[in-house]
Amino acid sequence: MTLLITNVRIASENSPDLADADVLISEGRIQQIGRSLAAPAGTRTIDARHRILMPGMFDAHVHFREPGFEAKETIASGSEAAINGGITGVVMMPNTRPAIDSATVVANVLDIARRTARIPVYTSGCVTKDRHGKEMAGIDGMRALGVKMLTDDGDTTGDPAILLRAMQYATGFGMFFASHCEVPELAGPRALNEGLVSYRLGIKGSPACAEEIIIDRDIRLAHAAGAHIHIQHVSSKLGMETIRWWKSRGDVRVTAEVSPHHLIFCDEDIGDFDTNYKMNPPLRTKADNEGLLAGLIEGVFDLIATDHAPHTPFEKSQDFVAAPNGITGMDTALVSLYHYFVATGKFGWDLVVKRYSAEPRRLMGLPVVAIEAGQPVDLILFDPEAETTFTREFMKSKSRNTPLIDQTLKGSVAFVMLGDAILLER
Amino acid sequence: MARKDLLDISALDREEIEHLLEQSIPFKELFTRSVKKVPALKGKSVLMLFYEPSTRTHSSFEVAAKRLSADVTNFDVAHSSITKGESVRETVETLQAMRTDYIIVRHGRSGLPGMIARQTKASVISAGDGAHAHPTQALLDAFTIKEKFPDPTGRKVLIIGDILHSRVPRSTSTILKKLGVEVAYLGPGSLVPRTGPENIRRFTDYKEAMAWNPDFVYLLRVQMERQDVQYFPSLREYHHLYGINEARLEEIRSRGLYLMHPGPVNRGVELCDAVMDYERSLINDQVENGIAVRMAVLYWLKPGSTQ
Repeated sequence: MTLLITNVRIASENSPDLADADVLISEGRIQQIGRSLAAPAGTRTIDARHRILMPGMFDAHVHFREPGFEAKETIASGSEAAINGGITGVVMMPNTRPAIDSATVVANVLDIARRTARIPVYTSGCVTKDRHGKEMAGIDGMRALGVKMLTDDGDTTGDPAILLRAMQYATGFGMFFASHCEVPELAGPRALNEGLVSYRLGIKGSPACAEEIIIDRDIRLAHAAGAHIHIQHVSSKLGMETIRWWKSRGDVRVTAEVSPHHLIFCDEDIGDFDTNYKMNPPLRTKADNEGLLAGLIEGVFDLIATDHAPHTPFEKSQDFVAAPNGITGMDTALVSLYHYFVATGKFGWDLVVKRYSAEPRRLMGLPVVAIEAGQPVDLILFDPEAETTFTREFMKSKSRNTPLIDQTLKGSVAFVMLGDAILLER
Repeated sequence: MARKDLLDISALDREEIEHLLEQSIPFKELFTRSVKKVPALKGKSVLMLFYEPSTRTHSSFEVAAKRLSADVTNFDVAHSSITKGESVRETVETLQAMRTDYIIVRHGRSGLPGMIARQTKASVISAGDGAHAHPTQALLDAFTIKEKFPDPTGRKVLIIGDILHSRVPRSTSTILKKLGVEVAYLGPGSLVPRTGPENIRRFTDYKEAMAWNPDFVYLLRVQMERQDVQYFPSLREYHHLYGINEARLEEIRSRGLYLMHPGPVNRGVELCDAVMDYERSLINDQVENGIAVRMAVLYWLKPGSTQ
């Protein structure tokens, strides 16, 4: 297929300015970028005036629930939700049933992905068998199938001695560790932040220190082991500052991610027990929102990741304590980043491309895609002048547990193309 | 305005609260008559759904409903399918099919009555949910205080004990604030949250709290059953620091303070035996007033159509 996208504005991770150009695509590659390009005969032309062309996003933290919880999500439905949101690559978390803790399960997951997903789906693997924190998982077998990230996500690897030894063991294989940070003894029923809102609702909260203690612990363990540690979904300002301090030392490889919902929402939004605002780590305060945003702009956070966590309407309609933790993010992430931050001038498209497309691929050791001549096609068109209403029908995820349900936000993912295939066009 | 549910006292405005408290007065007057029953809710059905043990709240609601001539059914949680793993959601769907008019719920989980209310046409009343709300307790406390001070504006209530785990101070302080009453909390630092409401004074020292000059001393039950970890070293130490012993009772008596407690009491922990005979103890008034305000609430709420 030969395609000419004209009058488009190109975003890149290197500059906040958008470059006006035409882009000629054929045979799955960007052939030419320039002004007033001539279209060869038979070329389809898209007039993309006002639209923004950028590489596809990459989400390094998603729960696709297959195998084991297919009522919530499958690899097929999750990857369609990704495409719906302009995301062209993902890393699955291993808290499936069975947990992704051996070569057998990794092979099974990758096989399902190959057969059912239209985008590349990668998976992380467990640090410990069944995420129990007792015995190490089958690390080398998973490595042989391409697993790079080890994590017991959903829980902290409780025993620091096991984690330290696993770090010492796997670092030489080129693997790195990702940590969900939480002291379980401090976290109560793991429902919401400890503060005025938890007091008002009468549910024991999980204090920010429960997270911050493990952020610090796991970076220290990586420091001792010479390992690379990636801190997942940081929710507190003091957690961000802990990471900043360790990064400033320069003697441990630490990366970190922040989720859109921790930038946008706070615990006050829970209102009258709205379970669509329940996730773990929980929404904290407005001051944390601001601290995390400052950390993202400053570069303390290497990447943005959604922690896409689908649950069925029945599960989420239970009372606030019984309802499971997590919200979906694939369908909504990019539009919400535009609506809340780019459109309001908090940061530019360069930050979005860098933190949600380039850096997550670098973390995974994958080639970074860019809108440049000679690059393989992995791109999206974003329409800043359109709006998106996140109705049930709009969502491609099997679940719709998001605070943005039925909300209308500025911006729309208009077009997604990967290789020679147009995956989305609206 | 008619409401379908009563889940949390904070949802009511002052006018509604005053209305309910006024409506409670004629109901209370009934109790001194030989026939204590009125036909107000004749033909209506009330379902009691108590997932937590309760003596006084359960019987108070039951008596209130029967004095209004409603039919009362007790949903037997202990012998229900709940022990077979049926979720509350599924139970609610069953109850909805029974077309009951009022559901009175007590549950250990905060917010659970609200979840039921959203899924049923019946009027749902929280009879205590987790550490969240106990709206009829708040009403009976306010009623009891207003019997002593018809205009309670500027009066002071000191609530002593386990603020963290108790729904009573949350609801009762909310209603008292709406009526212009000042509220302070006293208890161990581990049980009086630092992040409580800003308009409530917080004490950890008994003497300092008494120097604040309260008109009412409101003791909370020390909720041993709700403590997932230890919050203070021992009951003996708690009694020593915050319990109303004989000496403290003498001071309370000499200052003419009223004493309240939502029950059931732990003798020797939050109070000593002698407190039960204190002439300004309002504990029994609270029980009697509880029936009156619950009648007023049942009479006031308007269930959705159950046809």
